[in-house]
Amino acid sequence: MTKLHIFTRGLVKDNAVFVLMIGLCPALATSSTVRDGFGMGLAATFVLVFSNLLISILRKNIPNEVRIPIFILIISTFVTIIDYMMQAFQPDLYRALGVFVPLIVVNCMILGRAEAYASKSSVLDSVLDGLGTGLGFTLALTVMGTLREVLGNGTFLGMSVFGESFQKAPVIFMIMSPGAFLVIGILKALINKYVKKELR
Amino acid sequence: MTGTRQMVITLFVVAVSCAVILSFVYAFTAPRIADTQARLTLSGLEEVMSAHKYVEVIPDTLWEALDSSDNKLGIVFRVFPQGYGGPIPITVGLDTEGVITGIRIASAAEGLVETPGLGAKITEPDFTDQFKDKCLADVNLAHYATYVASACDPMDVFPQAGGFSEIIADTLWYALRDSDTLGIVFVGVTQGYLDRIEFMVGYSKAARVTGITVLYSKETDGIGELIRDAEFLEGFKAGAPEAISGATVSSQALIDAVDGYIDRFKEYVE
Repeated sequence: MTKLHIFTRGLVKDNAVFVLMIGLCPALATSSTVRDGFGMGLAATFVLVFSNLLISILRKNIPNEVRIPIFILIISTFVTIIDYMMQAFQPDLYRALGVFVPLIVVNCMILGRAEAYASKSSVLDSVLDGLGTGLGFTLALTVMGTLREVLGNGTFLGMSVFGESFQKAPVIFMIMSPGAFLVIGILKALINKYVKKELR
Repeated sequence: MTGTRQMVITLFVVAVSCAVILSFVYAFTAPRIADTQARLTLSGLEEVMSAHKYVEVIPDTLWEALDSSDNKLGIVFRVFPQGYGGPIPITVGLDTEGVITGIRIASAAEGLVETPGLGAKITEPDFTDQFKDKCLADVNLAHYATYVASACDPMDVFPQAGGFSEIIADTLWYALRDSDTLGIVFVGVTQGYLDRIEFMVGYSKAARVTGITVLYSKETDGIGELIRDAEFLEGFKAGAPEAISGATVSSQALIDAVDGYIDRFKEYVE
């Protein structure tokens, strides 16, 4: 498999949210606006890339019996780093994402990549895999965030899209929880119908 | 055995390294986090009342606003009345004449849990500007002031005191005896089962409730209204109030609210 393939597999073919359907909890909960979805995606990407990197470096020294606790230690360390950094430099985003930042620790996408890929592959491949998977997650959340914010609030990144009159009465439920399920369901249906076959 | 030893050592080394890395990251970010927090708090205060500086009287709850020559311009305080989805964090600026200089309702990102696009509209200037320049007495915020003035006397809940000095108008008093502070008396409000419950509590330096009365309640007759019973209220003085079975919502709301208010005001007696 070429380096490009390793990268694009997580990005498109095995997209965590739309294809594998993992990491759905943060995807549904933090995609009410473009900014929140994008921010959450980048935070998860940071954790994925660095935990994959470190786990791949240490893979020959980690005893098989204690690999899961070690993976979780490493992952939670990077989650805590991004948690502190966000609190210090992006306080608005931090408050918007709330409990979902610390919850990146239990995102099965990250532990999944550590277990299934980084613990068995070279350092470069693992970083590429983490980057691809993370950006795939970011892409999914940003697309959902865009649809939900534009329809549910009439804005994109806070800027008005359809003008005043729409913004006074937008499709409010799109930014509420049911909107998240609806958007992911429709996107999944469209992807199943039009995209998946060509990639396989 | 070597297998076990290697497991223990690896786990130990990884855990210690993680802790060391995190302590460095923490040392680097902690002052910035504190800075950001302070800046956000300050800009929130400035939005409701512009002043040269703000002196924190109760952490996160009450500030005195001062001009450049340290004259008191008024106070800024935060309250959390019950909304549709949860408590609504409101910051209010009040000048020395009792006129509201502005109110600010925290956005969803800052903890407001009202419905986006519906209840969350209370954060918009269209709504909040209505309060500006109104006298406190014109607004329902002070609805319990009338009870305080007519029906209720701080002495009822703090009989040991000889006198009271007001800290926040119609809300918080010091209970004094011969210039010693014995404790505080405060008026609070919470959402009961049917309507709000307003109450007055005396709280001593020894961290005991000296007395409590219900100033206003309109709970279910014979059920929720049992919160006015002496037997239930005596529980607060004993330090262990128990919810009334059959009237759990009303009585638990009162118990939780009293706890919350004590938490907020206990700095005064410490």
